[in-house]
Amino acid sequence: PCRAQPKKKKKVDVKKEQAQKERMKKKLKKLEKAPPELIPIEDFITPLKYSESNRVRSLPALSSEESERRVLLLKKWCLFKQKQDEAEKKAIKALVESQQEALKELRLESEELFEAAIRRDEGLFPFERAGPSYTPPLPGYDPPEGKCVDITRVYTQ
Amino acid sequence: DALLGCHRSYRSRPTHGIGKFKYLLPKEAPKKRKERVQMKEIDAGTEHQYGDVNIQMTSYDLCLVEHFAQYVHRLCNRLSIRVNESYAMPTKTDEVLFMEDRGSKMQLDAVLTTHQRVVQIRGLSSTFAPILLEIIQSSQPEGVHLLMKQHTEADFKSRLKSRPELEELLAEMS
Repeated sequence: PCRAQPKKKKKVDVKKEQAQKERMKKKLKKLEKAPPELIPIEDFITPLKYSESNRVRSLPALSSEESERRVLLLKKWCLFKQKQDEAEKKAIKALVESQQEALKELRLESEELFEAAIRRDEGLFPFERAGPSYTPPLPGYDPPEGKCVDITRVYTQ
Repeated sequence: DALLGCHRSYRSRPTHGIGKFKYLLPKEAPKKRKERVQMKEIDAGTEHQYGDVNIQMTSYDLCLVEHFAQYVHRLCNRLSIRVNESYAMPTKTDEVLFMEDRGSKMQLDAVLTTHQRVVQIRGLSSTFAPILLEIIQSSQPEGVHLLMKQHTEADFKSRLKSRPELEELLAEMS
């Protein structure tokens, strides 16, 4: 037995659903139109408290011996850094030359091995290495219990 | 404008447009629209060349990691390795709490900030890669964690802000 009333309910429901869907689609289009933004980096934003204060440091006047000592120290540091840089360049050159020589010899030995050596190494990446530490960890040290809480500010668009 | 501004526009005469000069000036670039942050195409690399490689440096010390990133960038410039981008990842802040000796309350010990800098290079040849790694490792400062990996879309997406509303709507739609 079919009645008129349930049919009306179905029609109204379908219309309402369609209207809702269209509204959602419009909202989606609007949100998708906006381009994604990069998360602002807190390192590059100077906090206000460093720009507002009026504190100015007044440095004492340097004596002539002190300033001369500093200039000579600067010159020594420049020389040291130059030597360091040159040593690095020399090391790179030596490495590249020895590599090229080895590859040349390998080529003379066999072409197959040479081709395999030239190919890129898939196992190289990802490469991870922690930097050296000032002090290695103490053996037998019992650290107090605790936990680390991540309080990074989450930015949403 | 010069043609319409002046009241002596004799279009049939040969002297029409006699005062024009804008065509002689160099063309100005059109007004820059807001630069959209679009993902650049990721290079996969050939058999003898690695594609886009990310050198990520992480540390608690900001100055150290900045200077190291600058050093790596200059090194790549000197060795004529193409540097795509050199950017900073957002800083992470950690609160370290520890339990007191006698007590049940957690006490605040320190607030640590982790900074990360990324140098993205392209076209690294397979023979030169181990040499570059060796050089970077030998000059790695204390406390700086080095990580070298291929660039992926996920890496790029991690730099962007999250959009919960969009994701909610997408979930509802499907």
